[in-house]
Amino acid sequence: MDKVVHIKINGHHIRARAGQTVMEAAKGAGIDIPSLCHHPAVKPLGACRICLVEIERQRGLQPACTFPVMEGMRVETESPKVVAERKFLLELLFSEGNHYCPFCESSGDCELQALAYRYGLDHWVYPNPGEPKAVDGTRQYFIMDHNRCILCRRCIRACSELAANNTLGVIFRGAKTKVCADGDVPFGESSCVTCGTCLQICPTGALIDRQSAYAGREAQVERTKSVCMFCSVGCGTEIITRAGRILRVEGEWEEHNHGVLCERGRFLPFKEQRQRIKTPLIRQDGRMVPTSWEEALWAIAQAIKSTSNKKIGAWTTCRTLNLTLSEFVAVFLGKINANVGVLELTLARFKLPLGRFGASLDDLLAADTILVTGADPLSDHPVIGYHIKRACSAGSRLVLVSDNNSEMRRFAHKTFPLGEMEKAVQFCLKSNSPVVLYGEDTPLLEADKLITLERKARFIPLFPESNGYHARTLGLRANYAPSQMETVYLLLEDTTLSEEKIKQAREAKFLAVHASYHSPLTEVADVVLPALLWYEQEGSLYNLEGKKVAVRKAVPFPEGIIPENEVLTQLAVRL
Amino acid sequence: MTKIKIATDWLAACAGCHMSILDMDERLVELLDKIEITSCPITDLKHPPKDGVTVGILTGAVNNTSHLEVSKMMRERCQVLVSLGDCSVLGGVPLMRNQVDMEEALRRAYIETESTVDGFIPRSEELAKPIPARPVDQVVKVDVYLPGCPPSAEAIHYVLSELLEGRVPVLKDQVLKYD
Repeated sequence: MDKVVHIKINGHHIRARAGQTVMEAAKGAGIDIPSLCHHPAVKPLGACRICLVEIERQRGLQPACTFPVMEGMRVETESPKVVAERKFLLELLFSEGNHYCPFCESSGDCELQALAYRYGLDHWVYPNPGEPKAVDGTRQYFIMDHNRCILCRRCIRACSELAANNTLGVIFRGAKTKVCADGDVPFGESSCVTCGTCLQICPTGALIDRQSAYAGREAQVERTKSVCMFCSVGCGTEIITRAGRILRVEGEWEEHNHGVLCERGRFLPFKEQRQRIKTPLIRQDGRMVPTSWEEALWAIAQAIKSTSNKKIGAWTTCRTLNLTLSEFVAVFLGKINANVGVLELTLARFKLPLGRFGASLDDLLAADTILVTGADPLSDHPVIGYHIKRACSAGSRLVLVSDNNSEMRRFAHKTFPLGEMEKAVQFCLKSNSPVVLYGEDTPLLEADKLITLERKARFIPLFPESNGYHARTLGLRANYAPSQMETVYLLLEDTTLSEEKIKQAREAKFLAVHASYHSPLTEVADVVLPALLWYEQEGSLYNLEGKKVAVRKAVPFPEGIIPENEVLTQLAVRL
Repeated sequence: MTKIKIATDWLAACAGCHMSILDMDERLVELLDKIEITSCPITDLKHPPKDGVTVGILTGAVNNTSHLEVSKMMRERCQVLVSLGDCSVLGGVPLMRNQVDMEEALRRAYIETESTVDGFIPRSEELAKPIPARPVDQVVKVDVYLPGCPPSAEAIHYVLSELLEGRVPVLKDQVLKYD
């Protein structure tokens, strides 16, 4: 139990915890102290001075975001002196750069503007704008307008503390100070990994998302809490929509990913070029033609009924949500006892701990030693990669067991070849709170050596696909062999198959494909069923922490498409 | 009851602020029981009367030598000067011209614009000369600021009503907007 400190804010008696800042204590008591540079996800810096408060027996005003509470302290947060100072600071901020609202994308959602309204700023004394500053449009997804920057350094802290990438910093001094990348190279040519955390945390219109700029203010959009489906980390997201259209995706600050997403999760949904399948299709005279659900399901049911169950194969992607995955197993294994499996690997070879015995991303941040083997988190599970780098910059030691020359090597304390797993295991045994991350590329023999650490370390399985955890617990294996089957059903969702796999699939006498997009596979199928996208349906999945998380419907699904689990139920009725 | 005299004029402005004054609709008619608009840019009488008005309203930024004269005349002839709209209060869009060279701006505007044929920069002695753009309060003393692009009819009505009641308007909530 932390020591309790008694303080008085604006005349109210408040019990705060020792070590809290004045701002935290005030917030806990429901007293709002305004700020521009402060953000709960990053460390307090005291850069903007907006949170200045009057503290008895302190010389001058003090920043509430960095000032620790002390027994008997008396604080005034809105005294005439404080308010006058805040107004003066706001005038200075508005005078530097170009903070002219009518043509700014962030007008209405800008924290600087909101504060000026709050303090009734009807004009400012100093002329602006001064010298024009640069606009950097070299990044693919978002633009930096230095004219709108107030140098709060939230982006810099997000880059170094959350994404642990240390790309951003400031250059020059005084009025010439500006945020820069890698000592001042164009952002697009810098070491930026395009995670977009800076874009999300910027309080003004200095960072502008190209995709959603001018498309809707906060008051006009809807936010749906959901989960990213691009890898098994299952990052918490908010999907921002307007009139049934996705504007952008943001990281959820309260979830295990702490607001951070990667380039794929944040920006990839908008790069989709493939053509959507809108109705069931059936092969007629060598061509795929639209048909009714009734006819399409009848055709599949007929094919299944006329084939012996040993010659029926059904495979699904691990990108499927829980309900559909369970229904898939119930129909194809439970009802007709066909050959079932998944298209991606599920770490099923390994006998290492999962789920409630596994580690969370917070455990990863707290680990003193992190062992990574058989995986390249920075490219395949980027948010895990960022968390590893965060832990390393806080003093954790990364032990890499790999034969590949991945980018992770730069951060490794020790690197062992795959054949020397026991050395890495020994290293972990000597540490206090090791976390082990393993992926599919771990040789089975080496993985077995990790079992020694079962009691000592916590494990994070790096599944190759988003719902790999559930697929594995359902006992589904990557046993793709459609060429040995007569009737094949493939549930692809929005994934694609390699040319080789398509060739194998086509060797079956009857091929049914359930997918969201047209592809070379749907061209050669006998029946095609349209599938929803993950953000068009309510569902859940298990992330790599083994935690069940809700994937929410953010936009209405296209008319005429039936959710996959219902389609499977309807198919079962016809069998 | 004698009516309170009000004069308005515009400087480097788009006319949007005056449109917003007209947007008061029937409230403007009601106001006319108490006020008399002596002059404004859309009536025959353009200049505030020599014997003065109580309230003067200026919209737009000060952008050329003529604007200097117009602002000074308004200041001399009114008791309370209202700076109305973002361009007048903050400099607004015209202020962005300060970031480029004046000759370059003139060349772009009068010669290089895509729709211009045989363009030339007008340089008659009778014309006002462009000067760096600035908000009105950098030329004359302003008593009441009402930002907005344009300020809403509600905001303008509020400010005039407060002045008629003899109070200095305090802007907040929906009345205070920068866009």
